[in-house]
Amino acid sequence: MSNKIIRTAELDPNFKFEVTAHESARDLNYCFACGSCSAGCPIHEVFPDYNPRKLAKMIKLGLRKEVLSSDYIWYCATCRTCEQRCPQKVSFFNVLNVLKNIAAKEGYAPTAWVEQTKQVMQTGIVFPIEETCVKKREQLSLPSLKGEGKKAKKLIETTGLDEIESRG
Amino acid sequence: MSKYALFLGCTTPIKVPQYELSARWVSKRLGIELVDIEDFVCCGFNQGNLSIEGGLLLAAMNLAFAEAQDLDIVTLCAACNGFLAETVAELKDEATRDRINKKLSLIDLEYNGRTKVKHISRVIYEDVGLDRIEKAVKRDLSKLRVAPHYGCHYLKPKSAFEGFDEPDNPKTLHHLISATGAAPIQYETLLHCCGGKTFPVSPDIAHLLIEKKLNNLQTMGIDAMIVQCQTCYLMYEGQQQKVAEKFNTQYKIPVLLYPQLLGLAMGGDPATDLGFDLNTMPLDKVLAKVEE
Ligand code: SF4
Ligand code: SF4
Repeated sequence: MSNKIIRTAELDPNFKFEVTAHESARDLNYCFACGSCSAGCPIHEVFPDYNPRKLAKMIKLGLRKEVLSSDYIWYCATCRTCEQRCPQKVSFFNVLNVLKNIAAKEGYAPTAWVEQTKQVMQTGIVFPIEETCVKKREQLSLPSLKGEGKKAKKLIETTGLDEIESRG
Repeated sequence: MSKYALFLGCTTPIKVPQYELSARWVSKRLGIELVDIEDFVCCGFNQGNLSIEGGLLLAAMNLAFAEAQDLDIVTLCAACNGFLAETVAELKDEATRDRINKKLSLIDLEYNGRTKVKHISRVIYEDVGLDRIEKAVKRDLSKLRVAPHYGCHYLKPKSAFEGFDEPDNPKTLHHLISATGAAPIQYETLLHCCGGKTFPVSPDIAHLLIEKKLNNLQTMGIDAMIVQCQTCYLMYEGQQQKVAEKFNTQYKIPVLLYPQLLGLAMGGDPATDLGFDLNTMPLDKVLAKVEE
């Protein structure tokens, strides 16, 4: 999201259609760039370079590669304040999920999220179940955890989520 | 008597068992029956980052497990609450439900829209009610001044919560705290997010968020922060000393999960019933202000 000069050859005019083809991002068509999303965004507040309105503009301009390869789309805290504030009922939170999904398919996913999925396919949850944890739970008389990911894996495999690789 | 399937989520049972311990303790004494379903898996919220469909399927799978036992779900985590409730709303659409059920049939499951989802605080608020909480109080907590922190997904997306509370001006946790006898404060950064979902990708930015709130609370003369989500807990308590060092300041703000506060008021043993000794921040100053 630098302020470099945009060359029209780098623009992909189809990008906004690619994004709004996803049901949950369709309302982005009604965005009039008012900036209420950015004004309410906690990440924008502490790190002003992260700017939902600017991202919305970049999508409309067709800056496909710049948006998808940006670390910024992964910084969203998922607080959903943007969707609460938007006068046009755009859920920028949902738009970001669509962007992240497309970026993940193209190899830009951060390791942390890819590892979580791998773990879910093993134990059903995003953590391994270590011996110390098992003992602690016994001590506290809490029920033991099954730690089974087979069924989750079966479902995940129908979506291609299991094939997503991290950018490393 | 109300009865729910207890959805533990991923993080609470592994990293914050004191939340589970205290929630089970207060529930038992307030007539909330909790049923364990060992087949439950990750709610799917984080998976949605990489695949919206993948996240939706995991959420639906969990709803289906509860529905097979004719139970509604109660969650401890705010994000599990928000995401599962949103999925219930999304699966009201027949075409979506058919598509998802086709995949769920691969593991012999089906979801027909009967199972609903509530957060543990909402269940205490609605099923038990403030009057009965007040009657269950055995210790005097009136010397405690505490800061509520709601957690973003406790009330969002708004469309999934049928008018329960108001995300831009929330009140229920304030009321739940008042019912224990402790005094909840209002403060400028009340609605700030804990940054828990930013943390795995950028700890630095998450720390900036945490610092804003701790800095605000530092000047408010509080005895503790009260949270109702294990991720908020891990961010504000677990990261507190790192943030203090990074910003060259000192923070000593204890953080309690709401059922720990409620259990304390109800006369529970802080260590064995409510897991106070599992909190990393010492709680002796809090306990010193509580009258038997
Ligand atoms: S608040 Fe809505 S309309 Fe305004 S810039 Fe953001 S997405 Fe666009
Ligand atoms: S959901 Fe993400 S983009 Fe929206 S306000 Fe929260 S941090 Fe900002």
